[in-house]
Amino acid sequence: MTVKELIENMGLKPLSQFDDREITGVFVSDMLSDVMAGAQSGNLWVTVQTHKSIVPAANLVDVSAIIISSGKEVPRETIELATKHNIAILWSELPTFELVGKLYSLGLATG
Amino acid sequence: MDTEVEHIYASDLMSDVLAFGKPHSLLLTGLATRQSIISAHMAEFVGVVLLRGKVPKDGAEKFAREHRLVLLSTNLDMYDACVRIHAIRKRQRATPPAKPVEQSKEEILLSREFSIQGGDFANAGMVSTEVKSILKKIGLDPLLIRRVAISTYEGEMNVVMHARRGQATLRVTPQMIEVIIEDEGKGIPDVELAMQEGFTTATEEMRALGFGSGMGLPNIKNNSDEMEIESEVGQGTTLRMRFFIK
Repeated sequence: MTVKELIENMGLKPLSQFDDREITGVFVSDMLSDVMAGAQSGNLWVTVQTHKSIVPAANLVDVSAIIISSGKEVPRETIELATKHNIAILWSELPTFELVGKLYSLGLATG
Repeated sequence: MDTEVEHIYASDLMSDVLAFGKPHSLLLTGLATRQSIISAHMAEFVGVVLLRGKVPKDGAEKFAREHRLVLLSTNLDMYDACVRIHAIRKRQRATPPAKPVEQSKEEILLSREFSIQGGDFANAGMVSTEVKSILKKIGLDPLLIRRVAISTYEGEMNVVMHARRGQATLRVTPQMIEVIIEDEGKGIPDVELAMQEGFTTATEEMRALGFGSGMGLPNIKNNSDEMEIESEVGQGTTLRMRFFIK
């Protein structure tokens, strides 16, 4: 499944501009070092962190998209930086637990 | 700050500096604006000498300090300054310094320095992002780049969280990539303890932002081929990471 297909499937709101790419799996964490250690290239990263530093972190581990859950408001500077680095930021009102449940039911897994 | 000057470039035209200046040069210029310092920085010069007793203007000094460029001033004009430097070079040529054998054996393909500001969470991760894009341009193995990027990020974050300021040096040789992160800060009293997964001295505020989960140093250990930490309490920490190119 690609990021754009996921957006249609789940009704997610894309906030930044990005090139579509394949999703390899899902990683959920709000601790950045956790993401550094565990997220695989092409993973979706689900988090409630919205500050600017999530963009370099996502770029460095090469995630396919960041999904901001629980309807957290994302600062404009985070979105601008994401567009600059071609990182997809998707937004959902669903709490993390429900959002992850839906991702799981779409057949996405860890790794 | 002492540093090796490899070339001299004398010009008042900044586009010439950018076009023709060689890395590790010293710029001689009568232009005392911030722009000449920025140009020197972009061209990877070691510093700037302001001629004819010019005083740095519009934040030139601040920029030089932030980017660790040497900024000097002299009453000499450009012609005299050039002549004097030529004279030094003649003297040096007469007695060539004996070069250590090891240094000449190790060919450095690329060397870059970056400064990291302690407490600047808004720009945290920018240095490692830059390191990643440089390595990508060289065309190294993506998995190797990923390991360097992750380790550099963790090292950078440690400076942002725990030090006043720091400097990252990226060095690429045909055999390896080396990243050295030196900081001025409080230092690490017990390195062995700091290496343990989950051990953290980060504040609640930092942790709320998702930093400081006590995984930084373990992440570096797992992603680098060699890692060394030297630390002095109250002084600072030097972290050396090496990644071998197979």
